[in-house]
Amino acid sequence: MGTGVSNQAVRRVVIAGGGTAGWTVAAGLAQQLGQLLDITLVESEEIGTVGVGEATIPTIRTFHALLGIDEREFMSATQATFKLGIAFENWARTGDRYIHAFGDIGKTTWMGGFHNMWLMAKAAGFGGDLGDYCLEHQAADADKFAIASSTPMNYAFHLDAGLYARFLRRKFEARGIKRVEGKIASVVQNPESGFVEALVMESGQRIEGELFIDCTGFRGLLIEQTLKAGYEDWRHWLPTDSALAVQTPSANRTPPYTRAIARSAGWQWRIPLQNRVGNGLVFCSAHLTEEQARTELADNLVGTPLFEPRLIRYVTGRRRKTWDKNVVAMGLASGFMEPLESTSIHLIQIAVTRLIKMFPFGGNFAALSANYNAQTNIELERIRDFIVLHYKLTERDDTPFWRGCRDISIPDSLAQRLALFHESGFAYMAADDLFSITSWVFVMVGQRLMPQQYHHMGAMLGEERLRNALDSLNSNIKRAVDGMPYHRDFLQRYCPAEAV
Amino acid sequence: MTAQTVKKVVIAGGGTSGWCAAAALSKQMGTLLDITLIESEEIGTVGVGEATFPTVRTFHKIIDIDEREFLRVTRGSIKLGISYENWARIGDRYIHSFGVIGKSTWLADFHHLWVAAKAAGFGDELGDYCFEHQAARAHKFFTSPESQINYAYHFDATLYARFLRTRSEAMGVRRVEGKIGSVVQNSASGDIEALVMESGQRIEGDLFIDCTGFRGLLIEQTLKAGYEDWTRWLRNDSALAVQTNYPLDNIPPYTRAIAQHSGWQWKIPLQHRQGTGIVYSSAYTTDEEVRKLLLGNLEGDIRVEPRLLKFKSGRRRSTWVKNCIALGLSAGFVEPLESTSIHLVQSGITRLLRLFPISGCGESLARQYNQETQLENERVRDFIVLHYKATERDDTPYWRDCRDMEIPDTLTNRLELYRESALVIPDAADVFRVDSWLQVLTGQRVEPRSHHHIAHLMDKERLRTMLSTVRRSIGAAVEKLPTHKQFLDSYCLEPDEARKVTGAK
Repeated sequence: MGTGVSNQAVRRVVIAGGGTAGWTVAAGLAQQLGQLLDITLVESEEIGTVGVGEATIPTIRTFHALLGIDEREFMSATQATFKLGIAFENWARTGDRYIHAFGDIGKTTWMGGFHNMWLMAKAAGFGGDLGDYCLEHQAADADKFAIASSTPMNYAFHLDAGLYARFLRRKFEARGIKRVEGKIASVVQNPESGFVEALVMESGQRIEGELFIDCTGFRGLLIEQTLKAGYEDWRHWLPTDSALAVQTPSANRTPPYTRAIARSAGWQWRIPLQNRVGNGLVFCSAHLTEEQARTELADNLVGTPLFEPRLIRYVTGRRRKTWDKNVVAMGLASGFMEPLESTSIHLIQIAVTRLIKMFPFGGNFAALSANYNAQTNIELERIRDFIVLHYKLTERDDTPFWRGCRDISIPDSLAQRLALFHESGFAYMAADDLFSITSWVFVMVGQRLMPQQYHHMGAMLGEERLRNALDSLNSNIKRAVDGMPYHRDFLQRYCPAEAV
Repeated sequence: MTAQTVKKVVIAGGGTSGWCAAAALSKQMGTLLDITLIESEEIGTVGVGEATFPTVRTFHKIIDIDEREFLRVTRGSIKLGISYENWARIGDRYIHSFGVIGKSTWLADFHHLWVAAKAAGFGDELGDYCFEHQAARAHKFFTSPESQINYAYHFDATLYARFLRTRSEAMGVRRVEGKIGSVVQNSASGDIEALVMESGQRIEGDLFIDCTGFRGLLIEQTLKAGYEDWTRWLRNDSALAVQTNYPLDNIPPYTRAIAQHSGWQWKIPLQHRQGTGIVYSSAYTTDEEVRKLLLGNLEGDIRVEPRLLKFKSGRRRSTWVKNCIALGLSAGFVEPLESTSIHLVQSGITRLLRLFPISGCGESLARQYNQETQLENERVRDFIVLHYKATERDDTPYWRDCRDMEIPDTLTNRLELYRESALVIPDAADVFRVDSWLQVLTGQRVEPRSHHHIAHLMDKERLRTMLSTVRRSIGAAVEKLPTHKQFLDSYCLEPDEARKVTGAK
């Protein structure tokens, strides 16, 4: 081995910005590499965070396991509820509803997915809905939830993002994270290399580091305003650019899923927390004015809003380089994708995990950052494709917005996937895919893309045995769901929220 | 139910590829298909005693093969890896074993601990932390249904094809003997409709599998799929193969790949003989010189006249065109340095089973198949090119040119990442996983400038103790294993011989 292989050139890590992104990075680094690093987080109480009550996907549980977070403690502290999927309403046609549940459908073999069997049954005139063969789907539809080893379910959470950042701060600040309150006045770069050397606070305090994490939100103070990494605009594929967010009091039901209801020029979310409901309208300003959007949201709220809806403007897309020189951007500073599939917290967590694995201890950045960026790009593109899918596969022609979505030209990668599924029933999970085959199938079928063909793996079973297999699968699931408590009752016992 | 329009499958050519395809299709989809395989006893197969990769065992599960019977019939032996000799420098030796090295965490792979230990002046060889590596070195082996040991096989490819033929025919595959005279295409679509035999017999099909070897009778001569030449990265274009009798009391459970003047020599031990040969580039040496070199240092008596093979490394641009899928040599060729040819055949077959065009060959299925195949081939290519690029040898023009060649960007990126950070990031299309890359990178003397500091989270003494515990516990377990020869003797005997030996009834 060469000499000097063990020298650590990067020790001081400076996180610019708090919020969900900043505190997630801080927690991840402190938990996993804290002994080797000096971590400083700079945030200002004057700058608000965007967090509006968030939905997540199941990968959050893996990340929490890495952080050693206790699920009940976390849920109590963040008003959290369980999430088994997302109900999409009015997407393919007005009146349609389907759930993208997080579970498996039936049993998949190496030769092909269960949906091939289901398609064969449908063609032969028997079998129920796709969701009848998915435990999480059935539990979600019945407002039920349980954690039991006999019927393990794949789940995520709804949580209050503001409380979540506070929870992470409370748990991890004491692990050696130095928090500096205040606003950043300027960024000092090395005149030759362009590497960031320090942040200078409005107070005059200078904070030096070897690695900087940009969690400053949309503006990207380091990655964009300083390093000019560039931004790739994706609005030609995902035309929404605005969101109105508001909260309402808790309703009678606490469904264990997010609702995403298509509206005239976008969609409305409903995210049930323990103490209230997060609501919002994502829309396209080319088709709906702010005023019209406020009216549309107000008309469709259950309960009185707890405050005036807040408007957020965004540009969907991605930072061309999320790691440039010695700056890594996370959260909104790295790009933005609308919350339709609840991927924003996941993207922060996966970025932190990746950074921990690819940490530039030796002070060499070129190959690491190139590789990190390549991974980040492909992953984002796959998620983008999955979200575009929901819009592209609409049959709605009742508003200019939906007609535009239907006629939009889509990325080749997505076009190929859709053609493949349509022609042959073949769905796959690419290596860089976040979403599983089941997710793709739930959404494609939910959006009325029915394959013309399918794998004939079911034909080798024979019709009678297939019919019996489907029946017993469905009745086993029904029995399991019957035995589960209601979601709300389960929450009461498992993780009642802390008094706020 | 959608109509099944593809029922008649015609496999053009036998050999390893053809019979693997026949065996898998008949086992997995036999009730839905009529399968015909055409081969001619007059056309030889290229198989020269083959080494494989562990994925062969997965394929054998799919076609439900009994391992004992298979090893007995094909005179097979166990392969735990490949021993590379004289590659980075003359006198060097390393083993690319199929095992897992140490215990990795999600945070960092095991070798980051090892690199840190070496930097601090302790720790043993990388292979000391790998069970398969230690077992290979000791010529030992044992397996049982509960065993986690990862291994492949050496076997006689001709016997293998015959073994698969027997099974396939029992599953209803129809075999037609003879040579193909012509290929009939639909005049409008260009799809293949039938093969006409020299005898005049016409064999019609809905789907055709081209296993006709290098010439690619269907995929190239008929459908003009095109070939991408990789000679600039993989310059070998010839192989001289021979078999010898072998001293049977000490069979190494690995393939040997010994770098030579302008190529390398393989040694593949079977139960009853050894396959050996030299792969080389005719731009740097002559067939005659290679013949002298090979015959000049044979171990054991020669069993057959040496056979000369000529090839061009590369890949068929599309391996699925219209209603024809190419498998084996007709799909492309990468030299046998990492024993990937049977893997690529079998991987192509499982891919075909997943993407089977039961209702006709739509464009999207073929495109998906071709994309997956291309990526898989390019990853294998990169891994093999690595062995040549990362050499320090400058004793012959051949090795100097290998060292100085331009390599594919994908490989450059991997090498740079490893040099900068010791990271090996697996790609989904990779057949070769982190530990394979690592053993070859290390064996070829590629040194990282930095590494993940996971080791610095523990104190040095703990790291030292941990490493030596891993090494010693593997050593103790290997110590208890029978030799590879003992294992083969007890595992693959004919049933009645086994009864005699064990006294069982």
